[in-house]
Amino acid sequence: MNDGPDPPPGGAGHAFWQSLDELAQSPDFLRRLEQRFPDEYARLAELAASIDRRRFLQLTAATLALSGLAACGPAPIAGLVIPYVDQPEDTVPGKVRLFASALTRDGLATGILARQIMARPINIEGNPDHPASLGASDAIMQATVLDLYDPDRSKWVIDNGEVSSADALVTALVNRMPQLGKTQGEGLRVLTRASSSPTLSAQFAALTRLYPRLRRHHWHGGWRDNLREASRRAFGRVVAAVPKLDKADIILAVDSDLLNEAPGHLAHARAFARRRRELASGGRGNRLYAIESTPTVTGANADHRFVVAAAQMEPVLRALAAHIGIGPREWAGGAAPSWLPAVAADLAQHKGRALVHVGPYQSVSLHLLGHAINAGLGAFGQTLEFLEPPELDTSDEISSLSSLVADMHKGEVDTLLILGGNPAFTAPPDLGFDEALKRVKFSLHLATHVNETTRLCRWHLPRAQELERWSDARAFDGTATIVQPQIEPLYGGWSEHELLAVLGGAVRPQGHDIVQATWQGEAKRRGIADFATFWREAVRAGVVPGTRSPAAPVTLSPNIISEISATGQTDPPALSVLFRPDPWLRDGRYANNGWLQELPRPLTKLTWDNAVLVAPALAKERGLANEDVVAVETEAGRVKGPVWVMPGQAADAVTVLVGFGRRVVGRVGAGTGFDGFPLRSSNTLTEAPLRRLAKTDQKWPLATTQVHQHIHDPLHPGDILRFGTVEELRRNPDMFKGQSPQDSLYPAWPYPRYAWAMAINLSSCIGCASCTMACAAENNIPVVGKDQVLRDREMHWIRVDRYYRGDENAPTETLFQPVPCMHCEDAPCEVVCPVEATMHDHDGLNVMVYNRCVGTRFCSNNCPYKVRRFNWINYTKRDPRLDLAWNPDLTVRARGVMEKCTYCIQRIREAEITADREGRRVRDGEVRTACQAACPTEAIVFGDQNDAHSAVRKRKDSPLDYGMLEGLNTKPRTTYEARITNPNPALAEG
Amino acid sequence: MAGATDISEVIAPDETFASMTDEVSSIILRPHRRIGWWIGFGIGFALTVLLATALAALSAIGIGIWGDNIPVAWGFAIANYIWWTDIATGGALISALFLLTRSEWRTAIHRIAETMMLFATAAGGLMPIFHLGRYWYAYWLFPYTNVMGAWPQFRSPLHWDFVALIAFVASIVLFWYIALIPDLATLRDRASGRIVRVLYGLFALGWQGSSRQWRHFRITYWTFAGLMTAEVVAAHSVVGLDFAAGMTPGWHSTFLPPYFVIGAALTALAFILLLIIPVRWGYPLATMITLRHVDVLAKLLLTSSLFMAYCYWIEAFMPFYGGVPADIWTINASFYGTYSFAYWGKIALNAILPQLLWFRPVRRCEPAVFAIALGVVIGMWLEYFLLIVGSLNRGYMSSRWFIYVPSFWDWATVAGTVGLFVAGLFLFLRFVPTLPMFEMRELIQRYRHKGDAA
Repeated sequence: MNDGPDPPPGGAGHAFWQSLDELAQSPDFLRRLEQRFPDEYARLAELAASIDRRRFLQLTAATLALSGLAACGPAPIAGLVIPYVDQPEDTVPGKVRLFASALTRDGLATGILARQIMARPINIEGNPDHPASLGASDAIMQATVLDLYDPDRSKWVIDNGEVSSADALVTALVNRMPQLGKTQGEGLRVLTRASSSPTLSAQFAALTRLYPRLRRHHWHGGWRDNLREASRRAFGRVVAAVPKLDKADIILAVDSDLLNEAPGHLAHARAFARRRRELASGGRGNRLYAIESTPTVTGANADHRFVVAAAQMEPVLRALAAHIGIGPREWAGGAAPSWLPAVAADLAQHKGRALVHVGPYQSVSLHLLGHAINAGLGAFGQTLEFLEPPELDTSDEISSLSSLVADMHKGEVDTLLILGGNPAFTAPPDLGFDEALKRVKFSLHLATHVNETTRLCRWHLPRAQELERWSDARAFDGTATIVQPQIEPLYGGWSEHELLAVLGGAVRPQGHDIVQATWQGEAKRRGIADFATFWREAVRAGVVPGTRSPAAPVTLSPNIISEISATGQTDPPALSVLFRPDPWLRDGRYANNGWLQELPRPLTKLTWDNAVLVAPALAKERGLANEDVVAVETEAGRVKGPVWVMPGQAADAVTVLVGFGRRVVGRVGAGTGFDGFPLRSSNTLTEAPLRRLAKTDQKWPLATTQVHQHIHDPLHPGDILRFGTVEELRRNPDMFKGQSPQDSLYPAWPYPRYAWAMAINLSSCIGCASCTMACAAENNIPVVGKDQVLRDREMHWIRVDRYYRGDENAPTETLFQPVPCMHCEDAPCEVVCPVEATMHDHDGLNVMVYNRCVGTRFCSNNCPYKVRRFNWINYTKRDPRLDLAWNPDLTVRARGVMEKCTYCIQRIREAEITADREGRRVRDGEVRTACQAACPTEAIVFGDQNDAHSAVRKRKDSPLDYGMLEGLNTKPRTTYEARITNPNPALAEG
Repeated sequence: MAGATDISEVIAPDETFASMTDEVSSIILRPHRRIGWWIGFGIGFALTVLLATALAALSAIGIGIWGDNIPVAWGFAIANYIWWTDIATGGALISALFLLTRSEWRTAIHRIAETMMLFATAAGGLMPIFHLGRYWYAYWLFPYTNVMGAWPQFRSPLHWDFVALIAFVASIVLFWYIALIPDLATLRDRASGRIVRVLYGLFALGWQGSSRQWRHFRITYWTFAGLMTAEVVAAHSVVGLDFAAGMTPGWHSTFLPPYFVIGAALTALAFILLLIIPVRWGYPLATMITLRHVDVLAKLLLTSSLFMAYCYWIEAFMPFYGGVPADIWTINASFYGTYSFAYWGKIALNAILPQLLWFRPVRRCEPAVFAIALGVVIGMWLEYFLLIVGSLNRGYMSSRWFIYVPSFWDWATVAGTVGLFVAGLFLFLRFVPTLPMFEMRELIQRYRHKGDAA
């Protein structure tokens, strides 16, 4: 579009126009009108033709009269609005309804049940019937709701930087189609993110028939390229390796993301925790070893975590293989660490019940080693299952993107549709993606937010958010879910299916019909006669039955050993940079999500910023401290970021978390963190040699919710976090029995009806922070911003404390402890409140009466657990979310008022009322707190402790059950089950 | 030692009824252009404006403008509150207790002490109200009948504190005012202008000086003094209970109430010295507030400081004796932590520095006494700062150990309350007799009898 004012019509010789009419009738103007507003133009033209002078005057008079009337009513709403005469069936105002759907991460689906109140999705719970969820959900899934209600979402079609309309875009696209048809789609390219949608697959198949030369590319950051490449080399093709943690007794995690990021991680975490809980009851349990150069959540949960230098990862794993008896003898040589023989022996002794999992960021040869060891351990078919991959495209991402960019540079691409994503931000800078994109004549970016890529494209089309559109997706094991919208698109967004349908010739495509058509085809293939029932049931359940991927028969390449030797690292750099996506923002796509920005990262506890993670030893050597800004330089580029000294980081590697430092982003994400992507090049996507690490004299404040310099041994007070080994527990089964509450002069208060209580199992908690996020979503917890977190004023009602044991360079243990309100029987907060704003209710809950609170804050000072949160300023008003997003079941809190965990009292009351009306007691499991519902490992159990058969009662009767700081005699209702680890006795002696 | 009966030093021998009354009342009735007064009042007024600004910002935004956080939910505001009530209760203690002991040196300075307590209460009393998240509901702490049927939590020390404070404010205002009545009548009688006479006459409440009135006056005044002595100990002990009844490490200790009362005596003695030394020189009162006064107050300051030192010893000893880990963390954090400057500051200023007052030449050297008193006043503020912030930032949960960093508005509030106090004090000096004239007359009378006998 040419900038600046329109030139006057009529050419140079006729520079003046005499009337507005003359200007308006100029053919140039009309042409523009037709292009830009085809609908309006048509309507205008029709109108103009049908009106004579008389009619015009009549209409004018009517307009004047009616405009007076219009002023009497509310603001007009577009379309036909009819109030309820008969209430729609099942719609009860204020009643929560659940709708199944799925959210995708890295293209793979996790089933959800969206909790809707009055047709608004308020929060997300996992779908118990879905294999990737099993009822659990993670922090990012929870936060998707906020993404939906983000006021910074893209709202308009943009054409060359100016607001346009979807009709104009469709017109422009349709106008190109004859030309594309003529050339069989030459120059037509589609760039997608990772996807597993059968509908998308079908659409591409149809489009390829229409435009045989259409080429599809995919780019998702290139994080899993090594994994796929290793699969190709080991098995000849890409297969999905699905770990079976329920069957694994001994697990070796090599920089693994199994428990918190890998496809199906919620299910893996659940299986892992179930096996882990066996330990306390004398069962076999499992044992987890971790070797890694940068701390992971999986490593933090290991019985033995070994810090291995980044350069040593491969030699160590080779030595391990050799000790098990795989690979040549010389692999065993070199500097094998002292622990290695014991670990190798333990794995070898558990053939068929052992598993090695290598994280996606490791090199191809490490993955090959992993496959070789797993084969040697007899893991195939036992602890490791191979399935046909559910993804649409399993080709190498970086090759796919570089070939596209190369073609763009050559000018061979003239129509490029970018379906979601932000390649301009995530592509390695050596490709020159930005420059190449500017050369594409017709580029279209479909995205929920305007981002770096939008700015470089000609067209932008707002995308319907995941909760707004019809689609479908497959889980890590192939199980398909039909994604149904939870709400009408708030900003009129389109789905990728609808956009592609336009290319296929549809003018007004409907996502619902497109997705349904796919499944009609599938139903026909399966011979299902009653499609309507099939469809309704599949949508309702959130799972399409019988869609799990078939097992993939695999045979390990016979020359895998020589393959490993050939691809092995030859000359490791002295220092490396490891690239990892931020745990919450991932590759930056959630940068404008305040919940995720403010949710403390599981290990660093950082909020609102990323950092360069540096080992304590390296920090000491270079004189670096937290918040010092360093310049990090690789071959590809140079960035500056603040240092975070990370216990358990290898001294020969710094970790740069990417995803922050977005340049084109909404109000929330602006100015957060630094961009680490410029450090990557197309052949160093996960790891690069570090050229220079230089301290600058700048400082960058980092907002953390837990200072980790105080690595304090919890053994001594013992009262906060109790832990022990299986061996110790066997010797002394009562080791965790605490002091029984001291006698009181006063009789205990009776709670004859219900006594709601919580039990948290510390052996199960993996520190993933799902509970914190679920609580924030359910309980209207405001986002307070970095400045407030810096002053230690974050508002989360349940926090996950993280403690270390041992040397800071190689902590022997990382312990997590979720801390909600303890709901003490003798609550110290209650007696000190001068206005009785906090008190016990008839069920023994420690409740907070917001409108009675005057804000003395003595309750918080007197709370030994420090679980109370105060509204220092009007946080609710400052919160950026749309008003629609607040949970109507509970109040938002005013300035100057204390608040804290209520055990989700709104859910308790709802269940109590329902039970009362049905004349029965609340059943066990009927009330599930938000944290409990989200928890992937079932660490949190909630219920009525008066009920002898309730799950919570059973947990509390365990000899491992203890109350935090119970010596203070507060008699907490929330209790913990001590953490039991299963270290290898052979290593414990050493 | 000269002994309390030797009054030769309490007032200059040549002071007569007339000269004394002239000198004291002329400060009010025939003011000279005193540039010093305007400077002092100006500073106080400017800082009061700062206080008003700080409170306006607080009202507009919320107490988030301060540095408070979780775990340190109380900060400067409460430290200020205790410090000011220290000064107030200590002032009342000196005034009432030493009236009962009939100490002659009390006469010349008790008005200043009482005025100090009045304005200190005003400055300190703002703090617990404005520190509330929703201060406009502060009256909910009062047990009044209401349609909600809601009562205060009678078990809460904050409620006790509220009651104690209300009682204290009521009694000190009355105590101060009753003692003022005969002097207001003197001013009424000596005033030349009609308006001034009427105004002082109104406040004198028809005082005629009849023996009946004197009889009632004495009964009331002495009864009040007896009540006040108990009241002061009670009020400040209750402030101590605010903390002692909490279970925070560093607070949870029965020794806090007496600790607070001793602290109050120490702070107030130091503060009176800070006031009378400039007043002695700024006004023609050096013959009535003598070095003897300075000497006696300095001795009392020394005594209180020894008491305080004993408290510090107990405070450091008990955590180790009790063996509760959290208590030990807290005291160790005081010794070596972020706020160790406050700990060592209070030891140096409150316990060590006043030991210089063992020496008579130091006690008679006004600049030295002034410096020591200033040190104690600062030291006591540090003590309360440490008690609150130092204890809260080291609780039971090591995962929630965070420090407190005061904001600009915190400092503005401290400075502002000082300003309010100073401005009030200067207004007092201008409009109210600085010395109790009727009691000074009694003193001179007694002195004369003594002189006649000799």
